Amino acid sequence: MEIVRPTTLDDALAARDALPGADLLAGGTDLMVEVNFHHREPEHVIALRRVSEIAGWEGRRIGAGVTWTRMEKGPLRALAQLSRTVGSPQIRNAGTIGGNIGTASPAGDGLPYLAALDAEIEVASAGRGVRRLRWDEFLVGVKQTALRPDEIIIAAILPEVMPVAEEFAKVGVRNAMVISTVSACVMRMPDSTWRIALGSVAPTVIRARRAEELLGTTAAPRGSLLAEVADAVAAEVRPITDHRATEAYRRHASGVLVRRLVGRCAA
Amino acid sequence: MSTTSVLGGIVRRREDPALIQGTGAYVDDIKLPGELHAAFVRSPFARADITSVDASAALAMDGVRAVYTIDDVRDLGPLLAQVPVGALRPLLADGAVHHVGEAVAMVVADDRYVAQDAADAVVVEYEPREAVVTLKDSASDRVKVNDSLESNVLMSWAGPFGMEPDQIAEVKAGIDAGKARDDVVVVSQEMTNQRLIPVAIEPRAVLADYNAGYNSFNVWSSTQMPHALAGAVATMFGLPTTSVRVVAPEVGGGFGCKLNVYNDEILVAFASRHLGAPVRWTESRREAGNSTIQGRGWVATATLVGTRDGEIVGYELEGLADMGAYSQNFTVAIPFLGLFVGSGQYKMPTYWKIDCVATNTATTDAYRGAGRPEAIYYLERIIDMYAREIGLDPAEVRMKNFVPAAEFPAATSPLGFAMDTGDYATNLQALLDHYDYAGWRAEQEAARAEGRNVGIGLASYVEVCGFAPAGLADLGFSWSAYGLPTAFNGSGVVRVNPDGTATVVIGTGPSGQGHQTTWAQIVSDQLGIPFENIRVRHGDTAESPMGVGTFGSRSAAVDGSATYEAAARVREKAAKIAAHLLEASEEDIVFADGAAHVAGSPDSSVPWADIASVAYQPHKLPEGTEGGLETHVVYSPANATWPFGSHLAMVEVDADTGNVEILRYACMDDCGNVINPMIVDGQIHGGLAQGIGQALFEEAIYDEAGNLLSGSLVDYPIPTAGDLPAYELARTTTPTDINAMGVKGIGEAGTIGAAQTVVNAVVDALSPMGVRHIDMPLRPRKVWQAIQDARG
Repeated sequence: MEIVRPTTLDDALAARDALPGADLLAGGTDLMVEVNFHHREPEHVIALRRVSEIAGWEGRRIGAGVTWTRMEKGPLRALAQLSRTVGSPQIRNAGTIGGNIGTASPAGDGLPYLAALDAEIEVASAGRGVRRLRWDEFLVGVKQTALRPDEIIIAAILPEVMPVAEEFAKVGVRNAMVISTVSACVMRMPDSTWRIALGSVAPTVIRARRAEELLGTTAAPRGSLLAEVADAVAAEVRPITDHRATEAYRRHASGVLVRRLVGRCAA
Repeated sequence: MSTTSVLGGIVRRREDPALIQGTGAYVDDIKLPGELHAAFVRSPFARADITSVDASAALAMDGVRAVYTIDDVRDLGPLLAQVPVGALRPLLADGAVHHVGEAVAMVVADDRYVAQDAADAVVVEYEPREAVVTLKDSASDRVKVNDSLESNVLMSWAGPFGMEPDQIAEVKAGIDAGKARDDVVVVSQEMTNQRLIPVAIEPRAVLADYNAGYNSFNVWSSTQMPHALAGAVATMFGLPTTSVRVVAPEVGGGFGCKLNVYNDEILVAFASRHLGAPVRWTESRREAGNSTIQGRGWVATATLVGTRDGEIVGYELEGLADMGAYSQNFTVAIPFLGLFVGSGQYKMPTYWKIDCVATNTATTDAYRGAGRPEAIYYLERIIDMYAREIGLDPAEVRMKNFVPAAEFPAATSPLGFAMDTGDYATNLQALLDHYDYAGWRAEQEAARAEGRNVGIGLASYVEVCGFAPAGLADLGFSWSAYGLPTAFNGSGVVRVNPDGTATVVIGTGPSGQGHQTTWAQIVSDQLGIPFENIRVRHGDTAESPMGVGTFGSRSAAVDGSATYEAAARVREKAAKIAAHLLEASEEDIVFADGAAHVAGSPDSSVPWADIASVAYQPHKLPEGTEGGLETHVVYSPANATWPFGSHLAMVEVDADTGNVEILRYACMDDCGNVINPMIVDGQIHGGLAQGIGQALFEEAIYDEAGNLLSGSLVDYPIPTAGDLPAYELARTTTPTDINAMGVKGIGEAGTIGAAQTVVNAVVDALSPMGVRHIDMPLRPRKVWQAIQDARG
């Protein structure tokens, strides 16, 4: 196994160009698990931690190398909430938003936030330069993305218009350090529309569009509307049954989570 | 008992700086020049015949020294087992595999990476066969777990203990007759006490170094029983025990999973001898799930017969206990420990029968509590159901049926065991008063009025520990299988060194229990030598003449008692010397503050350093006194000890998600006299965490093919600090009359007390919805499902 350790983005992209099949290593919290279990046997690894251009976080632009620990202490409420639920402090010191996007797990804790915001993923390659894809153009399946073999994830780009209220929560077997059974992010926007995104309940993170429509621009939904929203969410998600939970439970819990988060975001 | 300041006082654990700062040495920290690394080829099938093993590709790899199969080690015989009932484990699979993770071949290489890569390059051809995974399927004997077994049911434990089968049948018939009475209710429930993985933070690890010149082994192992391992190595390699030295250095948690001699320990020793180099192996977390022992795994039906005013007429438990594929150290004996406490704190006719059933899964053996948490769980759950059925408060039902305090000491339990001391009603009343149980119930009512699902759980327990009573030695409570025909006695060597410091060598070793602190307290109390001048040595078979090990909450009561007595005898001799030096009468000598004093003469004293110096110069000693200042005491307890207690939990259930939150957890434990309250509290904390972990989170889940689905820590959620409440602890004190210190044991009490307390609380919270029982672990999905089912 050969490890390339570039210190600039240009060098990283050049390495990516030269070794198109190489695995990208950021915090290693996903990649090293796969290597340990022989699910992946990399010939070439490009380690990105020394690349300073992707390590920064300025305003709406969160560099791919920004760790959970930094997001946990950052100004964005739901992003901080979700970051706190990721692994242990050691894992949060290592794991990055870019790695979470690149792994594209349905249970990726950062993805509901990006989906709710309609965030864009910025990628670059040596030959074609920079391009941006909306989250749902980028995340195309279970652990599948639109990233081309010569590209590297550079940043997550948040929109100019940010929510007035945002909340994240997840259901798991215990309070922390656990893979989510269901995760949800709910936002109320300045124009009073709602955004609802869920993780672990479909092949990719999804938006609950029907529930968003039901909420419309109701600033403080109550009673029967909340119940309708919960039912809509439960109907929209497409979860599976496995040894962690049943489909029925995941559907139900999705509705409950969204109902509660809408309540917390209400004006 | 002497009443100087140290014993019974909070003394901070002297081992913690090294453990916390990373300066303690675990097996993996001990490095020998030229050491090689072992890795295992493990079966991916729960049941298969092996048609071929091809190691040629592995052997061709750079850095690979050897690949061993059963053909290389068959002569050593199967792994020794203390209770050899059922199939014994071959050192490596012999033509067939019987559980996922069974070792098929061992690779030894220059480093761990090469060893692991080479293990992956060994080609094993398997012919898969049907695996038997569930208990009821296995007990039907539809398919044998292992061709060598006559039946998958290996044996049964039935009680009352000591009775002939026809007498036991009479007890059962009596209870059955009670069921027909028209003034009783019969409450019955099948319950699962799920399999658990012990999850020690430090995985198992072993390093073996064979010396050809002396034909001897040095072995370092993360074990709870170094003497047994030394005996096993000596027995299997045909050496005297003096040719094997086993050291258990710092051990990072055991909980019973290191209370076994494992095949990897023997194989690493074999490879070291064969290759002439030190060989080490360190377990991976996945191997810890598949290849190290697991615990629990019972499916049983509890039935309680009682009158409508709360008098229990009879109690029955019948069921199956999972032994896994092979019998190792105690395996089939674990349910026996459940039988000991099967009637709990109660006086009631009890019939008890648990069948030991093999399955194509990892071996089970002792896991913290070992049989006792299972037995108490069934009993305390069914008593709770009974109380609900007749509409009495669960505390009142328990109070009505306790073995009366007047029957102690030496009360005989309904299952036929002599219990040392107990005062159950006083203990439970102390719990109710101290924590204001009535106030809890009022709080619960108020919460329910707000629509919150708050429940209160109460459970009482007895534990049995301090193994082993002299009377049980002949029943096989010894390490005789490992060539050490010693009963489970205590061993304590107390030596005052020439400079007046003391060295204590004990036969048990800590895996976190704080022995270095507790034993120094015991000896300091006896001798008046300052705590900091006492060094406690453990875990080294070259230092300790005998040792049984740390398990079953036995260390303080058994090896502690040996040490206490050894110190008393050293004190007697020192008093003789001091009397000689001070020209005083021996009877007037008292020890305190690092010196011997003459009672009533404050100015007349001689420091320990002077006494010790004389003790090691026989010509200065009084005539007839031998040189040296050391005693070894082997202590054989007259009986086991029976700690007990009652716990109370308040939980809130989120009916929408099924999430359980423990709002309060309160204990009233009674472990007899307490040597160090801080260490006792710490033991309870850890025990509760493991009991609550079983109640809410943990489960070894196998699929129908025998694959462990929850073998990684992602899917095996042990509780974190964020999941646990701030424990509220208090104690009553009922000293045992079995040993001089009056101590009983506390290592497992928290685990034995906790699981049913939490489940009782959750069911209490959900009972208005009609939920009657939920099998552990009470994960959100299951709790939610139970609510849905109850609501129809």
